[in-house]
Amino acid sequence: MRQNAVAGWLLLAPSLLLLGGLVVFPVLYNAWISLFDKHAFLPVQRFVGLGHYVYFAHDEEFWNSFGHGLVYAGATLVLQLAVGIPTALLLNEGFRGRTLLRGVVLFPYVIPTIVAVMLWKWLLNDSYGLVNHLLIAAGAVRGPVAWLGKDWIMTSLVITSVWQFFPFVVVTYLARLQTIPPELYEAATVDGAGAWRRFRHVTLPQTRSVLFVIVLLRSIWMFTKFDTVWLMAGDGGVSRYIRTLPVYAYARSFTYLQAGMGAALAVIMFVMLIVATAVYFRVFEREEAMS
Amino acid sequence: MTRVSTVSRRDFLKTTSLTAGATLLAGAPAALGQQGRELNVWHTEVEPQTVKTIQETSIAEFERKFPGFKVKQQALGWGDLNTKLLAALAAGSPPDLTHLNPFMTASLYVKHLLRPMDELIRALGESDIHEATLKLQHFDGKYYGVTHAMGATYFCERRDLREKKGLKPPETFDDMLKLCAALTEDGRYAIQVPGEKLYMGFVHPAEWLASNGGTWVDAKTWRPQLNGKSMLEILDYLQKLNRFQPAGWSGQKYLDTQAALATGKIAMSHLSGARAIGYIEKYAPENMRDPEHFTPMLRPRGPSGKIGMTTLDGENWAVFSQSKYPNEAFEFLKLFYKKEHYLAYCHSVPIHLTPIFKSMLNDPEYLAHPRIKKWKSWHDAMLAALRDKRLLPLGFTRPDDNLLPFLAELDGSSIVADMVVEVMVGQKPPKAEADRAQKRAEELLTQLGHKRWS
Repeated sequence: MRQNAVAGWLLLAPSLLLLGGLVVFPVLYNAWISLFDKHAFLPVQRFVGLGHYVYFAHDEEFWNSFGHGLVYAGATLVLQLAVGIPTALLLNEGFRGRTLLRGVVLFPYVIPTIVAVMLWKWLLNDSYGLVNHLLIAAGAVRGPVAWLGKDWIMTSLVITSVWQFFPFVVVTYLARLQTIPPELYEAATVDGAGAWRRFRHVTLPQTRSVLFVIVLLRSIWMFTKFDTVWLMAGDGGVSRYIRTLPVYAYARSFTYLQAGMGAALAVIMFVMLIVATAVYFRVFEREEAMS
Repeated sequence: MTRVSTVSRRDFLKTTSLTAGATLLAGAPAALGQQGRELNVWHTEVEPQTVKTIQETSIAEFERKFPGFKVKQQALGWGDLNTKLLAALAAGSPPDLTHLNPFMTASLYVKHLLRPMDELIRALGESDIHEATLKLQHFDGKYYGVTHAMGATYFCERRDLREKKGLKPPETFDDMLKLCAALTEDGRYAIQVPGEKLYMGFVHPAEWLASNGGTWVDAKTWRPQLNGKSMLEILDYLQKLNRFQPAGWSGQKYLDTQAALATGKIAMSHLSGARAIGYIEKYAPENMRDPEHFTPMLRPRGPSGKIGMTTLDGENWAVFSQSKYPNEAFEFLKLFYKKEHYLAYCHSVPIHLTPIFKSMLNDPEYLAHPRIKKWKSWHDAMLAALRDKRLLPLGFTRPDDNLLPFLAELDGSSIVADMVVEVMVGQKPPKAEADRAQKRAEELLTQLGHKRWS
C-alpha cells in the first residue's frame, strides 16, 4: 500500500513540479513583489506592504480602467453570444456550401491579432477607410466618422473584438448542437412546437452546460484581454478612453517602470476573477438544482 | 595472411579519447574567444540604407583593424530602445555601445551606469562639435555621450497655400491660430498633430512649455509645473487649435499626418522632419514635389515665451560601465566619425542626419548630395534653428533638464498625454485637467523617490 503511494507520488512529481514552477510560483512571486516599490528593470526596491493596494483604492485611473474593462468585457460577451449562437444554429442546418461556410467562419479566429487589428484600423480610418467611404456613398453620414477618435474608439474596439472572437462561440456551441439527439426535435415537432419553441424547450436546456462554459471562459478572456486593446490604441493619446486593467497593469510595469504597482494590479485582477468565477459557479449550481 | 593489430582496443579508445579531448580543448579558447569577441552596437537609425552604410564603412574598417572582432549592429525603433536597454542592463548584458535618448542619460548617469568619454571627445575635436549637442551629456565636468547626428522637428507647411492668403510664418500662438483659421477651408483642415502618446504627450508639450517660458518641474524643488500659468496658457491655445484639426487626429499616427499633408487633406503637419521629404517625393502630386510647395516652419512662441523652441532629434552614443569591450567601443566611434564614413552616414538620410561638426555643416562635400541641393531650404531652416538657439533635445523644456532622472517615467506615465487629449479632444476645462495632471505627477515623483518639495 505504502509502496503504491510512493510510486503514485513519484509519477505525479513531474506534473506537480511543472505546475508549481509554471503556475504557483509566478503567482506567489507576483503577490510578493506587489508588496514592494520595485523598479521594472533596475535593482531598486523598497518594502511598502499593502501600500499599493491602498493607493489603487483611491486611484482614479484604476477605477476608470476597471470601468472600461467591464464595459468592454460585457459588450463583447453579449455581442459574441448574439452573433455566435445564431451562426452556430445556422451552420447546424443542412444546406449547400455548409462545409465551406464553417471553414470561413473560423477565419477571424485563426488570423493573428495584429493582422485583425491592422485590418480593422485600416477599414475604420477616417481619412481613407472603406467603412466611411461606404457610409458616405450610401448617404448614411455627411462627413467621415472618426471611428478611431475619442467618441467611437470603444465601439471600434468592441466591433473588432466581436469579429475576432465570435467564432469561438460558434465552434463550441455547434459541437454541442451536433450531439443533441434528433428524436428530441422530432418529438417536439410532433407535439406542435414551432422553431422558436423547439429552440426554447429543446436546444437551450440541452446546451445550458456549454453556454455556462462559454460565458465563463469568454468573460475571463475578455476582461483580461491585452493584445487587441493595446494594438487598437495602446500608444496613442486616445488610449485613455479604452484603457482596461490589463493595459493599465502593463503601463505601470513597463512604461511607468513601477513593477511593484503592476504586480499589485495583476493580483487585484486575479482576485476579482476568482471571486466572479466562484459567484458564477454558485449561481449556476443553484439554478441547476432548482431545474 | 592475417594481419595482427599492434594496437589494442583499449589503447585505441584511449588514444582516440585523448585526441578528441585535446582537439576540443585546443578549439575551445578559439571558439569561446570568437563568441566573446563580438562588439554589440545598438542604434536607432532603422532605415535599411543607413544600416547598410554603417556596415560597409565603420564596421568593415573596424573588423579589418581588429581581426577576430565581429561587430553586431542592431537597429531599434525609438519606442523599443528604452525598454530593451533597461532589460539588458537588468540582465547584466547591455550592448557595448548604444544610442540613448538624452532624457534617459541622466537617470543612467546617477546610477553610475555610464563611462566617461572625454578622451574620445578630444580626439573628435571638442571645439568643432556643435554647442547644441556638446554638453547634453556633460555631468560633473565629464562627457558621457556624443550625439550621432542632428535632426530637427518642425511644422511642414504648404507654403503655396499660406502665401496665397498673404500670411507670414506665425511667430506667436495667436498668429498660428489666425493662420489655421485661414487655411481651414473646402474640406481641408489646417493642421494635424500626431496622435501617438510620445509626441502629443511628451515631445510637443515640452516644446510648448519651452516656447512659453515654462518647464516640466521647478528647477530647485523638482515640483511638477503642470498647472502653472505657462501650461494653462498652452492648454487654452491647444483647445482653440483643435478646431482646425480633423476630428479623428488622436487615433492617427505620425505617418498618417505625413500622408494627409502630401495628399492635400491638411495644410500643415505639426510634426515633421527631413524624413518627410521622402513622403512628399512619393505621394504628393508630381508637379508639387518641391520646396516651393512644402517647406519647414519653426515653432511659434506663446504669450509668456520669448522664442519658439523645437526639438533637436539626436540620440547620443553611450558606453556602459558594464560594457565588455569599452576600449573597442571607443575605437569604433572614432571610425564612425571618420570623415568619409560619417559623410556617407549623414548622406544615408540627408538633412535628417545633419553632421554634429560645425566644419561639416557648410562643407561643399556634404552639400553636394542631390537631395540636399534640391531641398536646400530645409537644411537652411535647420541652420537657422541652430544659429538662433531654438533647439532643445527631445522632451527637454530647458537645457538643464538633462539633470532630471525621471523624464523617461514621466513620458511613460501618460499623465501629460491624458491632460492634452482631455483638453483638446474632450474639450474639458483646462484648469481642472491641469490640476488633475499635477496631482498625478506629484504622486508619481513621490513614488519614484524624487520629491524635493515640502
